[in-house]
Amino acid sequence: MNSAISLQSISKFFNGLQAVKDFSLDVERGTIFGLLGPNGAGKTTLIKILTTLMRPTSGDAVIGGYSVLREGKSVRRIIGVVPQENNLDRYLTARENLVLHARMHGIRAGEYNPRIDRLLELTGLTGRQHDFPDTFSGGMQRRLVAIRALVHNPLVLFLDEPTTGLDPQSRRALWDYIQSLRTTMTIFLTTHYMDEADALCDRIVIMDHGKALVDGTAAQLKEAFAHAHVYELEFRANSDRYEEILRTLPFVAHFGRKGNRFRLELADEESLKPLMDRIGSADIKGICLHEPSLEDVFIGLTGKKVRE
Amino acid sequence: MFRGAISIWRRDMLVLRRSIVSELVSVIAYPLTLYLAFGVGLKGYISDVDGIPYAIFIAPGLISMTAVNAAFDESAWSMWFHRKVQRTIEEYRVTPITVYDIVIGKIFCGFSHGAIKGIAVALVIFLLTPFRFQLLHILTYLFFIFFGSMIFSCLGTICGTIIDKPENIGRMQGVVIVPLIFMSGIFFPLSSYPAAILPFINSLPTTAIFEGARRALLSGSIEYAYALTIAATAAIVFALAVIIFDRKIEE
Repeated sequence: MNSAISLQSISKFFNGLQAVKDFSLDVERGTIFGLLGPNGAGKTTLIKILTTLMRPTSGDAVIGGYSVLREGKSVRRIIGVVPQENNLDRYLTARENLVLHARMHGIRAGEYNPRIDRLLELTGLTGRQHDFPDTFSGGMQRRLVAIRALVHNPLVLFLDEPTTGLDPQSRRALWDYIQSLRTTMTIFLTTHYMDEADALCDRIVIMDHGKALVDGTAAQLKEAFAHAHVYELEFRANSDRYEEILRTLPFVAHFGRKGNRFRLELADEESLKPLMDRIGSADIKGICLHEPSLEDVFIGLTGKKVRE
Repeated sequence: MFRGAISIWRRDMLVLRRSIVSELVSVIAYPLTLYLAFGVGLKGYISDVDGIPYAIFIAPGLISMTAVNAAFDESAWSMWFHRKVQRTIEEYRVTPITVYDIVIGKIFCGFSHGAIKGIAVALVIFLLTPFRFQLLHILTYLFFIFFGSMIFSCLGTICGTIIDKPENIGRMQGVVIVPLIFMSGIFFPLSSYPAAILPFINSLPTTAIFEGARRALLSGSIEYAYALTIAATAAIVFALAVIIFDRKIEE
């Protein structure tokens, strides 16, 4: 495989607690890869290891052919990082933030100035380039953080929950921008938003407790978790009587009711016929199969319990 | 080489340039008040010290104090602010620079603040003082100020690296830094100490900085024991600053 990112048995312990467990993964060049997981799943720890901010307890990772353990400086030369927080320098103007980043990468003014002009133009920040980030909206700050990570033209871009806290318009604008980058770089994205992963990612891994649980495209994951036995059923009348009947049926694993609407989880696909035989069709207003969303897959794998 | 350190230093100097007037006003006010209170207000009550008018005796110490305090303040608060508030240290660390770049950059920023503010206070005090110092004396004096600022800048960097709560940086200044500075005889001769504790006082790096600087400015002489103490302390605190920063950011 033509890997841009390769994780080889990465483990990370914090005070005896294992945050990442023997994690291995290859991400193909030129793809948008999504790493999903609840809080504390180990996503940010993995990103910190891949961006050389943290050393793994064991294992190694290779980014663009460079080891994060032995060639950290070379890794940092080819990566761009958009962290969870807007870590902009509030004492520098928007442009000065970008210039400082370019200087850290050893880029000459003749090279970075036109590039900064282009990036500011692309993200609609040209008119505010001499203002301080504190005066920007959350969306503008996020865009500035994103283009700062692109000033040196990285080969691999790490985005750690890039749209958290943004309004829908800003999220969509950032999605479009991320989509436009896919031809030139490999993108490694973590997010809590399932619609974001669904819309952007070519490949998704859901992780929890430091381990990968599933791996595939959004469609593959949904297909794998489409048990085809969750139905939504609506009656015209006599809902209370039907509720009593449903309660007695052994193949109805669970059901929930809201007025005349029922959500049924059957034991298997074959249970649909005996269900229809038992309740008949006289009072049925509508019945439909519930298609699983990526969020259903996520909740199914990681549980409903709120994490700290 | 040191591209990152130079970039960080340039960034800090740009920020300083934007607020230079307010910075200088605030930094000059304190030593100037002390100078006017002790050097001018009390001059009729305090006799010469070792044949030196009291206003002249305290001038080198006040200049040195301004420089090292500014170096400590800038390094400690800047490191803390960039690490805990802006989190810009994290941004620096995902660029192809080294830990040494960040520490050296921050130390030189602190040193530059110390040097600029010390010179500003020196100019004001020299304007108020009828005595003139010889150029050679001033150059010798700068040796002590240079290393003194460097030491305090390293100490500030260490504090800004390991202290997470801002109030504890203030406590560190109040409980450790200020007593160490005042114990070094800014306002009185070291001969005032009881003989039993004088060796201990003389072994303090702050004594080497302040007493060494005073002797350099007033007589042009270099106390080699003091110079050695300062150079060794500078080397140790620099190494400590790098090691501690490296370990802290791994957490």
